[in-house]
Parts: sequence; structure tokens; C-alpha cells
Amino acid sequence: MDEFNDNEIAKLLRLKRYEQPPPGYFENFLHEFHRRQRDELLREPLWRICLDRGHDFMLRLNLPALTSYPVAVTAVLVCAAVISLKLYQTPAPASLAAQDRSVSNGQPLQVFATPTNNADAEWTLASPAATRFFSAPSLRNPTESAFTHTRATPPRYVLDSVPVSYETTFKF
Amino acid sequence: MTEAGLKDVNPSIALPAARRLTDLLSSAPEVHVKSKREPMDKPRTDEDQELVARTQAGDAAAFDRLVVKYTPRLYGLIYNMTSNHEDTNDLLQDVFSKAYKAIRGFRGKSSFYTWIHSIAVNMTLNFLKKRGRRYQLSLDDVDASIQNDKEFLEATATSSPVREADLSELQKRLNEAMMKLSDEHRAVVTMFHIQGMPHAEISKILRVSEGTVRSRLFYANRHLQSYLDEFRKNPVS
Amino acid sequence: MRRLSNFKRVPRFGLLRVGLASTSVIVIAFSGATPSRAGSAEEQSASSISRQVKDVFARAAKAVVKIHAIDPHGELCGTGFFADPTGTLYTAYSVGGEAENFTVEFNGKKIPARQVVTDIRSGLAMLKIDTATPALPVGKSDELEVATPVVTIGFPLDLDETPNFGMIAGFDHKYLGRYFSTTHLRVNATTQRGEAGAPLLNLKGEVVGIIVSSLENGSSCYAVPIEAAEKIRSDFVRFGEVRHGWIGANVTEAPAPVEGSRAEITEISATPPATGSGLRSGDILLQVGKVKVREPEDVLDASFFLTAGDVVPITVARGGEKITFDVQADVHPAVKNVPMLPDGTQLPAAATLKFNRAIPLGLQPGSQRTP
Repeated sequence: MDEFNDNEIAKLLRLKRYEQPPPGYFENFLHEFHRRQRDELLREPLWRICLDRGHDFMLRLNLPALTSYPVAVTAVLVCAAVISLKLYQTPAPASLAAQDRSVSNGQPLQVFATPTNNADAEWTLASPAATRFFSAPSLRNPTESAFTHTRATPPRYVLDSVPVSYETTFKF
Repeated sequence: MTEAGLKDVNPSIALPAARRLTDLLSSAPEVHVKSKREPMDKPRTDEDQELVARTQAGDAAAFDRLVVKYTPRLYGLIYNMTSNHEDTNDLLQDVFSKAYKAIRGFRGKSSFYTWIHSIAVNMTLNFLKKRGRRYQLSLDDVDASIQNDKEFLEATATSSPVREADLSELQKRLNEAMMKLSDEHRAVVTMFHIQGMPHAEISKILRVSEGTVRSRLFYANRHLQSYLDEFRKNPVS
Repeated sequence: MRRLSNFKRVPRFGLLRVGLASTSVIVIAFSGATPSRAGSAEEQSASSISRQVKDVFARAAKAVVKIHAIDPHGELCGTGFFADPTGTLYTAYSVGGEAENFTVEFNGKKIPARQVVTDIRSGLAMLKIDTATPALPVGKSDELEVATPVVTIGFPLDLDETPNFGMIAGFDHKYLGRYFSTTHLRVNATTQRGEAGAPLLNLKGEVVGIIVSSLENGSSCYAVPIEAAEKIRSDFVRFGEVRHGWIGANVTEAPAPVEGSRAEITEISATPPATGSGLRSGDILLQVGKVKVREPEDVLDASFFLTAGDVVPITVARGGEKITFDVQADVHPAVKNVPMLPDGTQLPAAATLKFNRAIPLGLQPGSQRTP
């Protein structure tokens, strides 16, 4: 009657409840989690960005049937196709510069403050198509000061004449 | 060479390797205190609901609270399925990383508890499938509070070869026996016997019927029995 | 060899002489010609340089972008460049440090960017856009020497992407009487307003520095070595913030060099990590981590690359022998929320220290920094 029965096995297995990681492990776990998140933030690969964006878009549509991953994957493939087409079509610096020139010869870039109707008014047949984008309303809401400043003055082009900080002692 | 400013390291409270079970029996206190290692009570789900809602609204600190809350039990789940501390650590990080990314789509059909346990079990099963039969034991130390575990001490008292063995030898044999089970069997044994989950909860996590859970447990126990019988036949001298 | 010991005696080149000097230096460096064939060899090396510069520009330009932002003074523009393929950008602190509403012109589009981490001490900032991008390979500023040819690519004023060619003019510890936070590269290349944050590239096309300021006459500029940016990025990944380290030892010039160094430790602070580190007043400092120390000024670099919490090996000469101590750096007092006096008392929270902020010369406080 030395047979182990279910009860015996269950009791012996209780030993495994007492196997614990080294002291401080759980306290440190959250820090390690944050560190990995920051590392991922700086190293997100393109496919992951596409997948997340596609999935978010589907979720916002609030259509349960579309939140499944096969749909998201399809969306990703479509995005990837669009993006790879765009990447292959990246204009050479010279031609991009040529398009920029026609914008900068006119008024300074008024992205933050220009309402839509003004943008339409500035665009003429002489301007290459790509410049119209630069005159389009900004992607972010302009602040009050930006509205008054950019209408009146061009932007401040930054290159300081002194470094931002300095040291006073040879102490380390 | 000096090192300045190091933080104090908490002294380990793990038992020394060659501690004999007979010593445990003789030193066990007369009054049996309720072991601190009872299976964890199921956490409050209303608190989880609030934390999930706040996370979905953009409060990253709310997710941190969920991490802190679930890390110990998920660690136990994954560790007992893998018997390897380093793999457990990596998997646990991956589980929370995946959960954080997927939480926007969490609709609350199941509880967060069930949801995150599902993620953990599935990721671990996938990992084990890739790892294959070659595994490396990397065991955590056994906490000293096992000395207060009445049921464990009873079990060791009834069987002579086990009584004479080292605690660490028994630990190793138990882990090897667990690793001989199939991954799915090991998962139910872990959840039921080690984590103390009821059949109903296990069936929700694994998305199988309760009948399937019971039958897997039955066969798993049979296998464990035969593996541990070998231990009985080849006791440690 | 990174620094010439007699570097201070190298004459300053005026603007007009830069072109001649650089051409002759380049010809001497690259031509192996005999005097009778000097003419064609010069032509060859000049065209080879031109080809290399064009090649660097062609490859690197697409990773350099114009940055727009808004700060309390209004809209500003600067330059930045991608450090990795996932849209991480480096720029100068004066562009990305204290502004918001960032947008980046890339591939013909204006893309919103977010601020990831800034560090006023080094004069740098890191931004990020969520797009796949080209990236500049990272080089080593240690490989640069005085007269090494370099290329910058930036967005001056409202003009297009503009390359500039020049050479390393020096490795400076200070400017106009004030010490830099770390050795800065002085570059003989004219840079314009709007080019803060531009990458400094070697002829292999690797980024070795980031343009942060111009000298008063505008003929030269200063660049922070790329290693400083990499330290900031590494601290951010590890801790979520830049962790400036601190030991607590004062250094002054020793009367005579010992083991090649004139940096003598004069005072060890009464608090850890200095106390208990093993360092003593009178020790001659030879090395701190990777930084070799020969002059007291080298301590600036030693201090800059310390990371709070890390253990750093410090080598000193004492009584004729070299000793190395492993010391764990503490948090720099300029960063601590409540600094402590040497006797252990805490200063009130209001008296928080910050890294010394340079005030523009000759301008009223509160007005724009760029002239």
C-alpha cells in the first residue's frame, strides 16, 4: 500500500507552490517591463506599425466582424503594397528640392495658420501639384500665439551662437 | 578595490540543498499555522474592470497596477509549465506586452483574469511546442515556509523513500515527472493542483469542456503516479 | 591620434584662407604623385573628393529632414536626421528641447513628431515619427583628427537641403571662456540659421556629430560628438530618462605630470559615492571608464559619460603605482530634486539646481536666442 494515489500526488505537488523566484524579482519585473516597452518604442518594425494601425482603424469602425485578424492582415497587405509603391517612387533629392523651391520663393510656409480657403487661393496652375500639400491645413491645431506670429513674421531659423549649457568646475 | 553605494541584498530564505525531509518533520511546529502558500484567492474582478477601462482610456499606470497584481500568479503558471526560470521571465514579459497591445480590443466578454490567463497558457504552449522535447531545468529555490505546510509534510511522512530523500532531490524528481507529461496535461495539473483553480475556471481558460478538464487530470495523475513509482523503486540512498 | 598636444599653437585660419588650406591639405593627404605629375594628380584627387562628397550627400540626404515646431516665441525651424529605420530623430536641443507641435518634412509630407527625450546638458533632443525611414550609419568621432574632411547636410533658412563641405578645425573644451559639457568638435564649415541639428558626416557617410551652434563670425560651427547622442538614447532605453552620473571628486592642475596626466584630485566630497570609493585627495587621475585623462579639462568628458547607477572603473596614480577602483556613480546633483549639502542637510525644494544655462551674449533676457 505504498502506492501513490491522487491524493498523495496532489500533496507532493504542493512543493511546487513553494518554488519562488529570487528575492526582488517581482519588484524588479515592472521596471524591466517598462524598459522593454521603451526599447520596442524605438525599434518598432514597419509590419508591426502597419498591423497596429490597421487593427486600430478596424476597431474604430466598431464593426465586430472586421476586428478579426484575417481582416487586419488583409488591411496590412494593402497598406504594405501602398507603402512599398510610395517608397519606390521616392523622388530624388534634386526633384524634391525643385518642388520646395517653388513654395519657398512665394510666401513662407504657413502650415499652422492657413485656413483651407486661403490655401486654395494661393494655389495657381503654375505651382507643381506637390506644393499644394504644403499649403494645406496643418495636421495639428495651431496655438493662439502661432496664429498671430506666423501671419506676421517668418519662422525663426535656429542656430544658436552659444551652446545651450556650460560647466563651471572640474568636478565629476 | 572597493564598491560603494550598493543596495543591501535581501538574504535568501531558500532552504539549503541537503536539507532532509526528516528534519522538516522533526522541526515542524506543534501548532500548524495556515500556510501562506494556499492557492491564491481569485482577485476581485470589479477592480480589474476599472483598471482595464482606465487602461483603454490611456492611463498607462492603471495597466502597471494590473501587471503588479497578476505577475506572481502568472509567474507560477508559466514556471510550472516550463520548469525554467529564464524562459518563464521572457514569456511573462511577452504575455504582458501582448496584453498591453491587445487590451484596446478587450470587450469584457470574459473577465480580465480569464483573458490574461488564456494569453499566458497559449503563449506558453506555443513556446513549449517550439522548444520540443529537449528542455533544460532551471529551477527556483524552494521557499522555507514549506516547513509549515501540513499536507505536504503528511504526504512525505507516509512514504519511506520519500521521507529519506533530500528536498532538492524530490524537487528535481517532481519537475522531471512533470516534464514527462504532455504539455496540455502539464497545464491542467499546474492549474488544478498547484494553482488551485476549480475545474470551471480551467475550462474557461482553455476553452474546453469541464469534462475534458477532468479527464485530462485523470490521465495526468495516472502518468505522474507511474513516474513517481519509479522514484519509489529507485530511492536515493 | 585625436588631439595634438600642441594644438593650441595651430594658427586660426581666416575665412578666405580656408578654401586654399583645405585644398592643399587634401591634395597632400591624397596624392602620392611625383612633382612632375603634380598637376594631373591634383585634378584626380580633387575630382575624387568631389565624387566622394556628392556620393555622401546623395546617400545621406534622404535621412536628413526639416523640423518645424512652436515655442513661446512662435514658430521655429531646424534640422534633424534619422538614427534608425523606425523614425527616431536626433536634433539640437535648441530645436527640439523646449518646443511642441513638432512636424517633420519627409518624403514630401509633413508628419507629426513627438518628443521622446531631451538633454540640455549635451544640447540634444530626440524626436520620433511613426514611419519607416532611412537612417544614417553611426561612425566614431574618435577617428576624426584636425583637418579630417567632413560634410554637413542641413536646411538653412527657408532653402532646400544643402550640403556643406569643410574640415575638423579642432576639439574644444571651451568657448568664450566657458567650458562645454563635453568636448565639442569645431568644424570649418559655414552653417546658417536653420541648420541646428544637422548631421556631421565623415567621407564614409557615417554620422560623427550633430551641429548645435555657430561661432560668432559664422565661419565655423560646433558639433556635439555622436557618442553623446548615443548615450542619451541608451539611457532612455534603459531608464526612460537621461541619467547623468556623479562621483564627487574635485580636480585641479598638478604642478607636474605624473604618468602622463596633470589632473590631480584635490577634494573628495564627504558623501557617497566619493566617500568610500577609495579615491584620495592627491591621487592623479588617469582614466575614468573609457575616458583617458591627461588634463583637468578631460574630467568634463569623464563626467559627461557617467551614468548614475553604473559601476565605473577609475584608475589613479598614487605613490608610484596605478590603482583601479570600481565606483558606482550616483545621480548628478544638478538633476536631483532636492540637492544635499556636503554635510548631509537637504536644501529646500525651491532651491533646485539645473545644469548651467548659457545666456546669449548681448541680448535681453527672454528674447530670441538666435540673432
